[in-house]
Amino acid sequence: MKDFMGFTRRNLLIYFKDKLAILFSLLTSIIVFVLYLLFLKGTFVEAMKGTMRGLENIVNSGDIDMFVNGILLSGILGSALITVPYTCLQTIVKDREAGVDSDICATPLKRWKIILSYFTSSSICSFIMTSLILTVGLVVLSFMGDIHLGIASLLSAYGLMLLGSVSSTALFMLILLFFKSTATSTAFFGILSAAAGFVIGAYIPLSQFSDGVRSFCNIFPASHITSLIRKILLSGIAEKIDSSIGGLDNGAFIEAIKDTFSFNASAFGSNFSGFQSVIYVSIFALVCIAGMVIAYNRTYKRR
Amino acid sequence: MKIIEVKNLTKMYRKFKAVDGISFDVEEGEMFAFLGENGAGKSTTINMLTTILEKTEGEAYICGHALGKEDDEIRKVNGIVFQNSVLDKMLSVKDNLLTRGSYYGLSRKEVEKSLEPFSERFEMKDIWNRRYDKLSGGQRRRVDIMRALINNPKILFLDEPTTGLDPKSRKLVWDYIDFLRKEHGMTIFLTTHYMEETRDADHVVILDKGRIVSSGTPAELKSRYAHSKLIWYTPRSEKAEELAKQISETCVYDVDHYNISTDKNVTEFVFEHRDQITDYEYIKGSMDDVFLNLTGKELAS
Repeated sequence: MKDFMGFTRRNLLIYFKDKLAILFSLLTSIIVFVLYLLFLKGTFVEAMKGTMRGLENIVNSGDIDMFVNGILLSGILGSALITVPYTCLQTIVKDREAGVDSDICATPLKRWKIILSYFTSSSICSFIMTSLILTVGLVVLSFMGDIHLGIASLLSAYGLMLLGSVSSTALFMLILLFFKSTATSTAFFGILSAAAGFVIGAYIPLSQFSDGVRSFCNIFPASHITSLIRKILLSGIAEKIDSSIGGLDNGAFIEAIKDTFSFNASAFGSNFSGFQSVIYVSIFALVCIAGMVIAYNRTYKRR
Repeated sequence: MKIIEVKNLTKMYRKFKAVDGISFDVEEGEMFAFLGENGAGKSTTINMLTTILEKTEGEAYICGHALGKEDDEIRKVNGIVFQNSVLDKMLSVKDNLLTRGSYYGLSRKEVEKSLEPFSERFEMKDIWNRRYDKLSGGQRRRVDIMRALINNPKILFLDEPTTGLDPKSRKLVWDYIDFLRKEHGMTIFLTTHYMEETRDADHVVILDKGRIVSSGTPAELKSRYAHSKLIWYTPRSEKAEELAKQISETCVYDVDHYNISTDKNVTEFVFEHRDQITDYEYIKGSMDDVFLNLTGKELAS
């Protein structure tokens, strides 16, 4: 076990000792945050106000702000769930390119432990980073107002970060098999980080896209996790807004908001329930892990 | 006692034979050198013997363990210094060595204990907490060798360990290798394309296009394939040519001197004819000549 722990520790150190890598792995999240400050917040608030015509005087504008801030946090978390594990896993390509894998293969460390260790360390990195963002985000939000989040929801949020980290890592382990050099894997990262914000609906809610695009985006586990985390973070504040409306609209406003901001992932015209999303992401991760085991056993040159 | 036994070892990449049925033995405690130009199959052989690459055919036994069957046992007794640095640049020397030690199942204390006999000689104290990419080329090589010693190996494989180093660092690396060999009785398996690095080897194998073209001690190889040369500076004349041919029939006049190829001890002859042979040079046969004669190619010196 010492060998597995040691190799995992090494992979973690490689990520956390490289400040630039950390920055780049969070670049999309930072861009989401900056765009939010620049104009996204305004756009989202306008979208909400457009939906609540006639109720402007009833709904507290502070609650609207809290709601939109929650959307921002879910967007930051969703994009980090894509970019952080990918950055961590680039170590596999770098190791192959620099011949570090030969050094590892010359030791008694078993092949399955090497593969599992890359997987574990990336999942841990991603979980640490997203949990950190979640914690800081919640602390900041709680200073701004009541976040209406119970212990169970809080634990679910961290659980989702774990599920999202594991599933994204499993997917990227497979994708990174195709890259033989860091130049190509880095080029792909450029595309990935640009697309990540759109895929999880951080810039524009997925509800604004066609069903085909929405279905495509919801193939990725990070999109489901973003919807789920949005649901957890915003349900409390949505209920508060609903209760302040007091049934005047028969819940139409809240239902419209949930649809607009994709509280539920959807594909091919139907919505996933929260439970269905968790099952989908879990199955997706398991399939990727199975594919990873088969593919790495065939391609990794060590016996 | 034979510590490495290799029989008909072959490595094929599709139809290309990188290593073509080579056989050799390495005695415990000796320094064994693989000499050959780039692409001769030196690194491929090392990679097979260290279990990094799978062999295509043949057999090999490392410390009595069969290659391909008892690989984990082989990995425990091998230490390797690769051509290029393979340690993590962003990590400190300490982190690099401790994590590598853990791959062998060693705890921090066990790593420190196994490196203790070498730490002082390798001056590790000064660089222990420094980041690997902040070290000089020589210091990095020092750490690379220390990394190979983590598991207290019986055989130390060095794959062109001095390539790219400045002369001072090269000398230091050789001092360390001598230290490991003489003070710790370690078996050294070296690949190189530098001729002079094979000078102190107990056994040299010359590899060309994946095949062994010759092997023996440096002295044996030189006596078989290299000839000493007497260069006698004198104007061309019949009398001088007659005298030159008394030493060797292989004698050519070139601009201002006779080039006489010989394996005889010429000291006595020169002394006898000191009134005529006044300006001369004597050049002993070298490993360069051995390689040139065997492969028709010249290596880096």
